[in-house]
Amino acid sequence: MGDIIVKTKVGEYIIKDDLLYTKTDEWVRIEGDIVTLGITDYAQKKLRYIVNVELPEKNSEVKAGSSIVTLESVKTVADVYSPFNGKIVEVNTALLDEPDLINKDPYGKGWIVKIKVHGTISKEALLTPQQYADKIKKEEEEK
Amino acid sequence: MPKEVPLIDLQRKLGGNIGEFAGWITSMDYGNPLDEHLAVRNSAGVFDVSHMGRYIIKGKKVFEFLQRVVSKDLSKVNEGFMSGPVLLLNDNGGIKDDIMLYHVNENTWLAVVNAPNVEKDREWMIKLRERFGYSKEDVDIEDVTTKSVLIAVQGPKSLDIMDELGLSFVKDLKILQFVKDPEILGGKAFLVSRSGWTGEEVRSHGFEIWADVELGAKIFEKVVKLGAKPAGLIARDSLRLEMGYLLIGVDMNESINPIEARYWLPLSLDKEGCVGCDKVREFFSKGVEKFRIGLRLKKGIRVIPRHGSKIVIGDKTIGYVTSGAYSPYLKRSIAMGYVKSQYFYLGFRVGIEIRGKVYEARIVDFPFIET
Repeated sequence: MGDIIVKTKVGEYIIKDDLLYTKTDEWVRIEGDIVTLGITDYAQKKLRYIVNVELPEKNSEVKAGSSIVTLESVKTVADVYSPFNGKIVEVNTALLDEPDLINKDPYGKGWIVKIKVHGTISKEALLTPQQYADKIKKEEEEK
Repeated sequence: MPKEVPLIDLQRKLGGNIGEFAGWITSMDYGNPLDEHLAVRNSAGVFDVSHMGRYIIKGKKVFEFLQRVVSKDLSKVNEGFMSGPVLLLNDNGGIKDDIMLYHVNENTWLAVVNAPNVEKDREWMIKLRERFGYSKEDVDIEDVTTKSVLIAVQGPKSLDIMDELGLSFVKDLKILQFVKDPEILGGKAFLVSRSGWTGEEVRSHGFEIWADVELGAKIFEKVVKLGAKPAGLIARDSLRLEMGYLLIGVDMNESINPIEARYWLPLSLDKEGCVGCDKVREFFSKGVEKFRIGLRLKKGIRVIPRHGSKIVIGDKTIGYVTSGAYSPYLKRSIAMGYVKSQYFYLGFRVGIEIRGKVYEARIVDFPFIET
């Protein structure tokens, strides 16, 4: 066991082995009914240097598949999606002053929100680290 | 297919994040474009700007040819000096490109042109050569872009760095003055000039070195060792925006004229006989329908106005943004764009619509920073 490092001709991407992933390049850590969410190393490298983060209000309701956060890099703008229905219970306000925490430490200090999930958490739509590694490889090869 | 700039391996070694600009693969940043921006303002940064197009223009008639091709009177550009930005205009007075000319000697000038236009500008010049009836002996235009590198050392500490490179004579250069064939690190560069495109050159804190690839690599690496931060095109873009410098294809193009762009620096309005100049005088006397303006968002606002973002008063659109960036120096986002000329409200607050939300911004003049 250990983190996976995906090497492609474009770059190297770290995938943590203790997290689950989405098809839209978010990572989630599930602890009881609370889910911590951020974007992956692959996502931050594709976005490049992040200069602005638009966070949701604490206690706002979110729907599975809906955009909850907007990340803005010098190059482009990207949405972050919630994989679950739930309520935002915490937002990482440190990102307002230091949006590049997401670049520096995507799986740690660069976490984005915590969501209290309504109902039971279904992992069916999520990807395992290995499945996520395969997804990246496929995407990079198709370029 | 995009081409790699000659120093790409060195850029990678120094931590460059590679991307594409105008057909060139080069470094967008070296990890933190905001730090790179601040290094240029507060200390020193070094850019590989080898993607810029470079021509040698020579022949018996080169001066009279260039006088007819560009918007600025070149008779005041002495030997050993650069022209400052000059415009290539189309026949309708629209802006094809802004370029820099170097007066080497009576029969030789150099040109640095914008990367997206390296082929188009040369084709245009050749077309004009035919129109004016000059021969290839009268005026020859050789594209030497890929044979050399261009390195920009910018910032308050650049003079010390040049000194340590053995170029102490540069302290006596005036802004836009250059020296041919300087000896650097045991080799001979093509030229060194007191110039740049960051705003530091205005403060006499900017130098550019033009050299062959091998020597250029040595110089770049040495300049980094001497304390300059390697900087990429993202920092270069936010630095030029702070100064209000226009980027071709983004802030100006062939359907925009220099009066609308308020791009007075490269113009000699009374100059006769140059392509597009009569049209520009006509625009000047008749008046124009839009003006370029600066937009300053509130302190702490980091949302970036994008090319095409609407400038609004209430629900009325009065113009559009052409480029925007977050300025780490001013700690706020800034932008430039055009408004209809009846809304040329310097000092007033208007709105910028970004992804459906309106952000307050003050219309200001350029530059955004004090120089």
